[in-house]
Amino acid sequence: MRYNNNNQQEFQELTDWVIDQAKKAGAKDCKVNLSKRRFVEINYRDRKPEVIKEATTQGLNLEVFINNRFASQSTPDFRKSTLAGFVTDVVDSAKIMEEDPFRTLPDPKYYAGRTSIDLQLADPAQDELTPEERHAMAKAVEDSCLEKGGNKVISVEAGEYDETYEELVKSSNGFIGANRTTQCWTGASMTAQDEGDRRPAGYHWVGCRYRGDLPSLQEVGAIAALRTLDLMGSKKIQTETLPIIIENRGVGRVLGGLFGPMSAGNIQQKRSFLSDKKGQQVGSKLFTVQDNPFLPRALGSMYYDSDGFPAKKRDLFTQGTLNEFLVDWYYSRKLGWEPTSGSISNLMIPPGTRSVDQIIKDLRRCMLITDFIGGNSNSTTGDFSVGIIGKLFDKGQFIQNVAEMNIADNHLKFWNKLVEIGNDPWIYSQTRLPSLVFDGVVVSGV
Amino acid sequence: MESLSRRKFIQRTALAGGALFLLPKLEASMLSDNSSGNYFLKEFGIDESLCQKLLAKALSKGGDFADLYFEYSVSNYLGLEDGKVNQSYGNISLGVGIRTVKGDQIGYGFTQELTEASMMSAATTASTLCDMKSTPVATSFNSPKTGNYYPVALDFNGIPANSKLPLLQNINQKCFGLSHEVVKVNAGFQSAAKRILIATSDGVMSEDLIPSGFVYASVVAERNGKREQSFYNLGGRRDSSFYTDDVINKVASKAVNNALNLFDAIQPPAGEMPVVLGPGVTGILLHEAIGHGMEADFNRKKISTFSSMIGKKVAEPFVTIIDDGTNLNLAGSINVDDEGTPGKKTVLVENGILTSYLHDKISAKHYGVEPTGNGRRQDFQNYPIPRMRNTYMLGGTASVDDVIRQAGNGIYVEDVSNGQVKIGEGDFAFYVSQGRMIENGKLTSPIKDVNIMGNGPKMLGNIIMAANNLEMYHGGAGQCGKNGQGVPVSFGLPTCLVKSLTVGGTQQKGGLS
Repeated sequence: MRYNNNNQQEFQELTDWVIDQAKKAGAKDCKVNLSKRRFVEINYRDRKPEVIKEATTQGLNLEVFINNRFASQSTPDFRKSTLAGFVTDVVDSAKIMEEDPFRTLPDPKYYAGRTSIDLQLADPAQDELTPEERHAMAKAVEDSCLEKGGNKVISVEAGEYDETYEELVKSSNGFIGANRTTQCWTGASMTAQDEGDRRPAGYHWVGCRYRGDLPSLQEVGAIAALRTLDLMGSKKIQTETLPIIIENRGVGRVLGGLFGPMSAGNIQQKRSFLSDKKGQQVGSKLFTVQDNPFLPRALGSMYYDSDGFPAKKRDLFTQGTLNEFLVDWYYSRKLGWEPTSGSISNLMIPPGTRSVDQIIKDLRRCMLITDFIGGNSNSTTGDFSVGIIGKLFDKGQFIQNVAEMNIADNHLKFWNKLVEIGNDPWIYSQTRLPSLVFDGVVVSGV
Repeated sequence: MESLSRRKFIQRTALAGGALFLLPKLEASMLSDNSSGNYFLKEFGIDESLCQKLLAKALSKGGDFADLYFEYSVSNYLGLEDGKVNQSYGNISLGVGIRTVKGDQIGYGFTQELTEASMMSAATTASTLCDMKSTPVATSFNSPKTGNYYPVALDFNGIPANSKLPLLQNINQKCFGLSHEVVKVNAGFQSAAKRILIATSDGVMSEDLIPSGFVYASVVAERNGKREQSFYNLGGRRDSSFYTDDVINKVASKAVNNALNLFDAIQPPAGEMPVVLGPGVTGILLHEAIGHGMEADFNRKKISTFSSMIGKKVAEPFVTIIDDGTNLNLAGSINVDDEGTPGKKTVLVENGILTSYLHDKISAKHYGVEPTGNGRRQDFQNYPIPRMRNTYMLGGTASVDDVIRQAGNGIYVEDVSNGQVKIGEGDFAFYVSQGRMIENGKLTSPIKDVNIMGNGPKMLGNIIMAANNLEMYHGGAGQCGKNGQGVPVSFGLPTCLVKSLTVGGTQQKGGLS
C-alpha cells in the first residue's frame, strides 16, 4: 500500500483549527503536534513467514498553557466533530493544575535560525517497496544466516521492517515545523546449540533512512550467524583488572550514563553528578564527543528539537572537558540559564586510526566486550554497574568467550581510563560511535 | 437511559482519569450504563454480526483461527515537582487488532478507526498470511465464566485529578517533614482504565474493565556534600480507595529512608559469593532469571534453556513456583487474557520438578495442552504472546535469621531493578539498589550500585534454603518488556539463600571500598 503524501495539507488546516479552538476555549498559548506513521513488519522463521504486520497510526498531541498552568493530552481521533470536545477537555485539565511561573511556550526569538541543508530524511523510493521485495529481503537474510550457522543452528528469525513517518508541529506563538522521515531495517537473530543446555543467541540488525544504504543482505545474515557462533562455550573467569575494549555498537550503552546527568532537568533537580563539572576535565584527553544533527540521511539528524529550537552542531566534550549541558526551555527558566537544547541528535566520537584487531594484538591480556546485560547508571552519584558478554585475548591470541561477568565504576574515573579509539564508527544508529579502549577496569567473575 | 454517541463519548473521555469530576452529573452517571458485557456494543456499535463479518474476512483465505481485540483506554498522569502539581498528561487509545493464525504463523492488522470499512481493511491485512480456502467462523458467541480479581465500580473511568492533587501534595510534605536532609521531591500519580472486547472465530466473546495505576515518590537527599536518590511506589489494579493515608505515608517514608540509607552504603567486593534474596520485590529475579525461560514460545522454538526440561528436577524439593493471574489487585492479575482465556493459576515448578510452561493458544496447540491464560499484549497494536502475570515462589520452613546465618559471608539483596535475561543461555543480571553485607551470618553495612549476575537454571538449582515469609510486590510502576511490548506484572519471593552468584563491583575480593 502506498503512503499518502498529501498529509501536510490536511495537517496544516487541522493544526490551525485546533489552535483556534483552544484559544476560544481559554488557552493563552498552545502547541499542536499531528503525526502519521505507516509501517510494515515481516518476520521469517523456518523458511516461512512467521509474522506479517502492517498498519497506519496517527496521533494528535495538544499542549495547553493558561496563565502558567499546563496540560498535555493525545488522541488518535482527528475528526473535528470529536476534537472540539477534546480541546475543551485539555483546557479544563490545565485549569486545575497549580500555577508554575516557568511553564510557558518558548520565547519565539529562539525559533529562528533553522538550517537550510537538505538532510535527506525520507527515501523517495520507500513508497515503491512491494510486499514481494520485503519478503525477498527477509528470506535472503534468513538463507544467509542459516547457511553460515550450519549444523549449530537451532533457530533463525530474520525480518524486514520499514516505516514512513510524517509530522507537523505548530504553536500559537509562531513555531511551525514539518518533517517526513523513512526508515528501513533488516536483520536476523540466531540461536545455536552449545554444550549442555546452553543455547546462545546472537543477532545483527541494521537500519538506514534509505533502503539503498543497507549493506548486502547476505552480509547481514552471515554476520548474525557469526556473532552467535562467537558466543559458544562462554564461561566466566576470575575477577581481575584488565584493559577492556567496548565494541562500537555497545559504546552508547555506557556513554548514555553521561547524558542524563547533563540534562538541565536532572541538574535543577539535584540528580546530576555533573552539575558542577562544566568546563572541567571529566575524561582523558582522547575523550571528545560531538552532537551533529546535520549528517544527511543519518538516523539522528533533525531540523528542530522538541522545544522547536533549531538544531545545531555542538562539541559536548573536547579532550576530556565537559563543554555544554543539555538545557531545554522549561529548565532554562528554572535555572536562569540560556537554553541550548535538551535533545540529542547524532552522537559522534572522532575515530582513531587502528582497527580493533590491530589494537588487540598490541595489548597483553584484554577483554573485548560485545554486548551488555542488565545494569544501571546512577545519575546522582555517577556509579554504574553492568553485566558483560565478550571475548578474552592474550597477546592478540583468542583465549575464550566470556559471559556472566560484570564491570562497575564511576563515570568520573572511568572516562579517564580511555586510552585509545578504534577506527570503526557504528553507522546504523544515532550513536555513531567507534570502539573504545579503557585501561585498568575491574572485570568481576568467579 | 440515553446512550452516548461515539462522538460525544470521545469528547467526554478525553478528560477521563484526569478530571472526570468536571463532567456534568448527568453524563457521569451515563457512564455507569457501560458496565455489563456489551460496552463496545453500546458505545461503538460493535455487535456480534459485525464481529462475525470481520472474523470471516480474516479467515477468508484460510487459517486455524482468527481473533479480534477491541481496546478503549484512557490514562492520565499528574506530576509534582518543586512543591507544585504542575504537570498533567493524558492519553486516549482506541482501536482493534485483528489476527489470523495458521500453525505458528501470524497475520496481523490493526486500525484506530472503528468504522466497518477500516476494520475490514485490517482484517484483509491479517488474511494475507494464508492462500487457501476460507475457514468457517462460529455462528454464535459464548462468554466464558471468569473471576473478578480487581473489582471496581462499573463506571470506573480512571482516578479523577481532583483526588490526585492533595495526595501528591501530601507526599511532598511528608517527605520533607521526615528529614532535613531531603532536598528535592518528585511525586507522580499514574492511572488508567482500559476496556477490552475479545471475539474469536471459535465462538468466544469476552469483555473486561481493567484498572491500573501507581503513586510514587522520588527523593534526593544531601549529606556533607554527597547526594543520594531513591524511588518508591505502590499501586496495582486498583481504584482510588487504595490510596489512603497509610499508603501515602509508606511511599514517602520508604523513599526517604532508602535514600538516607545509601549515605552509609559501601560497594561489596566483586566475585562469587552466597546471596540472600529478601522477600517481595526481589521476586523480579525469579521473573527474569527463570520465568521468561518458561514462556512457551521460547520453548516451542527450542531457544529456551528450559526447552528440554519438562518433567525433570530443576530445583530442590522445597521449591514450588507459580505464575498466577488470580491474585487480588496485583499488577499482573487478569480476569481474562488477551485471547479470551480466563485468568488462571499455573504451577511451573512443583516440589522441584518443572511441570508446565506458560502458554498462549499457539503454543498450547503446539504442545497439545490447554492454554494457561498467559496470552497477553501491550495494546491493540500488538498481537498476544506468552507473558507472565504474578510469579512467585512459595515459602519454606526456615526462619529469616536461619537463612542469613547459613549464608555466612555474602550479600543480602533488599531491592533490585533493571533485570535482564538471555533466554538461550539463561544468563541474567540485576542491579541491586538496596541491600546489606552479610558478615559472619549477620547483616552489616548497607551496599549500593552493584549488579548481581548468574545463570537462571543454575540459580534455581542453587536455592538451598527458603524462609516462611512469602511477600508479594505491591508496586504498580513495573513493566515487563518482551518483543517491544510492555505489560504490567508482579512477583513475590520468601527470603531465600542462593548458594553462589557473581557480584559485580570495583573492588576485588580482599578490599572493601
